[in-house]
Amino acid sequence: MDAHPDAPPVVVTDTLKNALRIVALDQRARARGVRLGQSLSDARALAPDLDCHPADDAADRALLLTIAAWCERYTPLVALDAASGRDHGLFMDLTGCAHLLGGEAALVADLEARLGAQGFHVRLCLADTPGAAWAMARYGQARIIPEGAHGEAVLPLSLSGLRLEPALVVSLGRVGLKTIGCIAALPRAPLAARFGARLMQRLDQALGREAEAISPLMPVAELSTERRFAEPIARQEDISQVIAALSAGIIEPLERRGLGLRRCRVRLFRVDGHVSALEVQTARPLRDARMIARLFAERIAGLHDDLDMGFGFDLIRLDVAHADPFEGAQAEMMAGNAGGHGHDALVDRLGARLGLERVQRFVLADTHIPERSFGREPVARLASHPGARRAASGAAALALLPDLPTPDAIITRPLILFDRPELMQTIAEVPDGPPLRFRWRGASYEVARSEGPERIACEWWRDGRGARTRDYFRVEDRQGYRFWLFRHGLYGRETSEPAWYMHGLFA
Amino acid sequence: MSLSRRQIAADILDAHTRAQQARAYAAMPAAGPVSEPLALGASAVDHCLDGGLACGGLHEVRAELARDIGAAAGFALGLAGRAIQADRGGRRGIVWISDPAARIDGGGLFPAGLAQHGLDPESLTLVEPHDLQGAMWAADEAAGCAGLAALIFQIKGNPARFDITATRRLMLRARDSGVLALVLRQSGGEEASAAATRWHVSTDLSGADEIFERGVGAMRLSLTLERNRTGRTGRWSLAWNPRTRTFDHAAPHPNPSAHPLDRLPESFDRQDPPGAMGQVLDRRQDFGRAS
Repeated sequence: MDAHPDAPPVVVTDTLKNALRIVALDQRARARGVRLGQSLSDARALAPDLDCHPADDAADRALLLTIAAWCERYTPLVALDAASGRDHGLFMDLTGCAHLLGGEAALVADLEARLGAQGFHVRLCLADTPGAAWAMARYGQARIIPEGAHGEAVLPLSLSGLRLEPALVVSLGRVGLKTIGCIAALPRAPLAARFGARLMQRLDQALGREAEAISPLMPVAELSTERRFAEPIARQEDISQVIAALSAGIIEPLERRGLGLRRCRVRLFRVDGHVSALEVQTARPLRDARMIARLFAERIAGLHDDLDMGFGFDLIRLDVAHADPFEGAQAEMMAGNAGGHGHDALVDRLGARLGLERVQRFVLADTHIPERSFGREPVARLASHPGARRAASGAAALALLPDLPTPDAIITRPLILFDRPELMQTIAEVPDGPPLRFRWRGASYEVARSEGPERIACEWWRDGRGARTRDYFRVEDRQGYRFWLFRHGLYGRETSEPAWYMHGLFA
Repeated sequence: MSLSRRQIAADILDAHTRAQQARAYAAMPAAGPVSEPLALGASAVDHCLDGGLACGGLHEVRAELARDIGAAAGFALGLAGRAIQADRGGRRGIVWISDPAARIDGGGLFPAGLAQHGLDPESLTLVEPHDLQGAMWAADEAAGCAGLAALIFQIKGNPARFDITATRRLMLRARDSGVLALVLRQSGGEEASAAATRWHVSTDLSGADEIFERGVGAMRLSLTLERNRTGRTGRWSLAWNPRTRTFDHAAPHPNPSAHPLDRLPESFDRQDPPGAMGQVLDRRQDFGRAS
């Protein structure tokens, strides 16, 4: 980072081998003679005004991820360099991307200039293999290694450039092998036998004899469209307009592939390097640009705090993260289905504005414990095809609730269930009978009618051996309120003082 | 001086145009499909409503006490179930929107109970926004969705933000789209709103079971139509039949009320009933001292 000319030298320290040591330093510190790995007390002797900060790996990683997200403006394939430890780095696979920015040289210059404007010094190299680029970026001077020339280019570089363990580099150095060229010329078998197969693998990766894949941070979008701006835009209307235009542009490729959009992401690249992402999902494959734009408008409107525009966005990209075959063209023609479409569109809009996890449907679980017998799943996460899901879970519902069409319509389950049963005080006639009176939420009730118990055994395989049985009672008090309450534990067998809980309200 | 006068003139003009717009809107027939009124099934109630509830419109269901939420939810869900059953042009689904304040002590819906109540739990979409403003927005959106059978908006008390303007907006949107929009007001007082009807629901003693003398009978609720745009109000005791999904008139109790003092008299036959005297408190004996 560039700072004020009179600012003190900056170093980052961490505890290594029982001493505070320098793990990172800036140019001014280097000019004063401070070196990496030096203990802090030695460094202070050289530069008493040292501005030192403790190392924070989590913050470093977060910053690196932010830069990685920003780098996706050049290619969707950006990966963290896992091997380099504290020596942070990123891999970008630029195959087929350079021509979009006017060639490799222009791309590298643009990347360096933009990151420089954000305040970062970068060392970078563009080469045919990840290994060669890694070595040259750290130990060489070239920015771009021409196609096919990486084999010769890396030979004079230090062996550390092969991403080896430091101990291995030291032991290779002891036998006089200092550069990559030294070992490239040697017979392979003895080398591998003495120093391990890893050395040969790294050498082959650098020279391109062995393929190496990088693992990108984000899945590659099925379709992607973007717009770049010479002047950053910062008005919400402009952004909405651009998203509408991008949505219109994505329709034609979707049609050509016979697909409809299910999940879609817009990324807004701010000029200062921050990237905001907005995502919407749809309940059924969608191929209507106006609907897509409207969903994004809802998504922006539903943000807790406004979109932080800063100095504006200079690149807006729309990715189709997931698409399904689109069979709606003919279904829409059938009369009567319009209602279903309206309903699904409503669910999409609600999810876009309020958050996908706030629009839910019931799913049933295979257990008799009431509060576990169902869950609430976001509609967006349920099975993709609405028809199939309804059929499948409808059957499950009937199987689990055999008394749905009861002949005598006896109601045994309450309409309202409390998320967690509420403790009450009771008086019962006999220890294992229904309560006579109870007190709940500060008011007392006298029981006029009651039915029960309905015994629901505990799930010992989940709650353990000591879990208690519940005896459920339906009771009605003298005013007609109908409650569902249970005694927790069998009197005498499981406990001597069973507690009573209120669990639900009948209609 | 002249500025304020101009301001007043503009205000008057504005009020004029608004009144004109309102008149024009009232004169205009509903844009949506004119649907049959939704009959409840109980003859006296349907007669009072001239055939049933207006399907495209806003109706309020009110429960005064928190513990009445079961009965009120049962009534609202019964109406929604009837709206699904009526199957008006492929409409499907109920959207249940709850204000986060109502969720705190109101509990949640229980799918097994819903199924026994005669509703498919799958037909419900639950929406839980993180604040009232989001909930009101969601209710507006749902009320305008022509593919929906019914919307239930659960709120707690009488929040100032959900005022007459908000209810009017809901009413108009529901009228245009034909959605049955229900406001389920939990522990809330009477309040002026644009709703076509307002129902006060409280629970009622269940009838004795023939098979099991001390057993709890089917749901029965005491229903007061507090406000009705078409004029007539009334009070009934209804039972819900989950099999046929109809409301029936409940047979009278052999012993009408065990504790007549526990309920305040309600004047149900007027639009503006006098307020209850004093504050309503729980006047039952303290349980600890009584025993």
